Amino acid sequence: MQRLSQISNQLSPNGDANKSSSQNVQKLRTQNDNDVVIVAANRTALTKGFKGSFKDINSDEILYKLLVELFKNNKFDPSIIGDVAVGNVLNPGAGVNEHRAAVIAAGVPVTVPFIALNRQCSSGLMAINDIANKILTSQINCGLACGVESMSKNYGPKAIPKVSKSVLKASNDAKNCLLPMGNTSENVNSKFGLSRNEQDEFAVNSYNKAEKAVSSGLFKDEILPITVDIKAKGHDGEVSIKSKIVETDEGPRKGVTVESLSKLKPAFKKDGSSHAGNSSQISDGAAAVLLMTRELAKSLNLNILGKYIATTNVGVPPDIMGIGPAIAIPHLLEQCGVPIDDISVFEINEAFAGQALFSIKKNNIDLKKVNPRGGAIALGHPLGCTGARQLCTLLRELETGQLGVVSMCIGGGQGAASLFIKE
Amino acid sequence: MLAFKTTGYNGYSCKYSPFYDNKLAVATAANFGLVGNGRLYILSITDDGRIIQDNYFDTQDGLFDISWSELHENQVLTCSGDGSISLFDITLSNFPIKRFKEHQREVFSVYWNLVDKSIFCSSSWDSTVKVWSPIRDNSLITLSSNKDTTIKTDKNILDQPPLSTKPIIPNNNNDCVYQASFSPHDPSIIMSVNSASLCQIWDTRATNPLAMQFISHAGMEVLSCDFNKYRSSVIATASVDKSIKIWDLRMIPDLQHNFLAQKNRVGPSPINKLIGHDFAVRKVQWSPHASDTLMSASYDMTCKIWKDQTDEGARYMSNMKLRYGDSLINNFDMHKEFVLGCDWSLWGRGYVASTGWDEMLYVWKAI
Repeated sequence: MQRLSQISNQLSPNGDANKSSSQNVQKLRTQNDNDVVIVAANRTALTKGFKGSFKDINSDEILYKLLVELFKNNKFDPSIIGDVAVGNVLNPGAGVNEHRAAVIAAGVPVTVPFIALNRQCSSGLMAINDIANKILTSQINCGLACGVESMSKNYGPKAIPKVSKSVLKASNDAKNCLLPMGNTSENVNSKFGLSRNEQDEFAVNSYNKAEKAVSSGLFKDEILPITVDIKAKGHDGEVSIKSKIVETDEGPRKGVTVESLSKLKPAFKKDGSSHAGNSSQISDGAAAVLLMTRELAKSLNLNILGKYIATTNVGVPPDIMGIGPAIAIPHLLEQCGVPIDDISVFEINEAFAGQALFSIKKNNIDLKKVNPRGGAIALGHPLGCTGARQLCTLLRELETGQLGVVSMCIGGGQGAASLFIKE
Repeated sequence: MLAFKTTGYNGYSCKYSPFYDNKLAVATAANFGLVGNGRLYILSITDDGRIIQDNYFDTQDGLFDISWSELHENQVLTCSGDGSISLFDITLSNFPIKRFKEHQREVFSVYWNLVDKSIFCSSSWDSTVKVWSPIRDNSLITLSSNKDTTIKTDKNILDQPPLSTKPIIPNNNNDCVYQASFSPHDPSIIMSVNSASLCQIWDTRATNPLAMQFISHAGMEVLSCDFNKYRSSVIATASVDKSIKIWDLRMIPDLQHNFLAQKNRVGPSPINKLIGHDFAVRKVQWSPHASDTLMSASYDMTCKIWKDQTDEGARYMSNMKLRYGDSLINNFDMHKEFVLGCDWSLWGRGYVASTGWDEMLYVWKAI
């Protein structure tokens, strides 16, 4: 009945949502020379904060070593890079000096400019967004987006925000920007009635998925092993330095069960439900993503991993900042005209089990599609690195032609979400 | 108001004869034109104010448009869902005197050239416009509206990427050419509109006949178009976006503006836009008697008569003096279903005919 559909099209050009949206998805899958494509997305292993393999080195060294490996693996001339954006949260000035140095040290010519970015936990994703936008507007043809964090070196009392009294007095929401993240998590848990049990189940699930992914080598493709020096104190108090190849995530634990988590005490509130076992881990790590136009990738004969489609950022009340993905994901999908069922994998950052669970439930997302290889609860959450790390993982989870979303909540009350297509 | 019921057949198009002041032809199709037969009605308006049926012709597939011959007072052209075009003699019965079969899909419009009366054109859902002579079996020219015009237009413009991260979703419907018509001022100029939102101007004398094309309704399908009978560069287009736009072809800029943001790439600006229909506008037609008057038929079951205030007399008026809302001068709401066809009488000034899916043909005084 071609005639019927042709004429009904005229009557409700936007009415038949499924039809037009699948057309949208088809359209997004078409390959044009000016598409922003991802030709490399790699990361270091994520190591435990304060006691893991990266405890003795700062973020610049992690980044430097990752980039050296990245350039080794991808044969191209770094001078084609038009801009480098590095997301980071805890370093002073978002690491603008030391990371510029690290990029140069890794072999990027000094003629390539550099920007340090900080939008809290989304900084890695914002670096990708920044580079993609510059490519879309033809400012550059190729750019390097990174995220890096050494929580071991930079997390602590000096990371506590300071806000002037006059500002705090002016608005309750402004005051809420000072709330520690754990408290905002408890706010989400109580406001939206998330029980400790379902949060623990979610966390156990994350641990099990991550453990399975590590033991079956699913992260091998995205992790670039780097060699670092680790200080160790012997029995005699003497400090020895050992060199070690770091290639495995240190966060995932074996045998985590709801029972084992149930023994943990709430961390932020006496009668709360967020605790060490269902919150994201303190970690170190870096991730780097090389983006360019399809035209350039083709001419350089580089393998294309995926295509960047769009990014959305939204603001939410600071005291329940965890709901960010719940708002950002539908906003992104509406903007792109893609129905939520057409997304195959969601990488939603697990800052806390409660907020991740709420974001999933609010949008009726199938739990099986969320973080199929575990999330930050098991793998760790090196703040500035996370967004770029999620993309690295996402691109290995998707099959060719499938759509995937990276999303996270952001301190201060925000949410971010990006849409990608695997090729 | 006079009425005639085309019982069992849903009206698609109606046309006044250019030779007889009281004759009308109506193209109809059974089952709303979705499947089944068609029927061509030849009607006369009697002196005592009735509409009587002179003759009718049954066809294999639904009839979608109609055009009287400008050469012969008894000949009328129809186009059909099976891809054929038929020439009927209204004094005979049962069968057409000639059939033209080249189009691959539904032929949605036929139009007899008013200046060079020896040719006519047709447009089809196979994305082509064809020019024919009634004395030849094969078409003279095929004007192909490329299947991927949206992509092609985009490609030219897309040499520079857009200044926005918002993905653009162009209309990727197949390119059905809904209507094509000759200019009444120049025998070799054809205008066509299609489902990819393009309005295209063809010059059949040129080696590359596509003289101009522009996105006229921001990606929405364009269902109808008509040349103004007095102002040679002025046209009207009607679209699924519920609007009618009036364009001056001299004011369509060259669209190679690479630097425009993609979201702004919706085509040039019309000189006037008429908004008032609640659903897609299926047919638009300028008055043969006034340069500023046009009629439209819509899926909202109404016909509307409009006054284009950007006509000559209003050209130097400031925007303040354009009385918004005064453009709609008549609204005909007798139809109980979609109105698909309408025509101005050449003889009785201000009289029009309209037909639609309610199996009714109405003749009424528009002005």
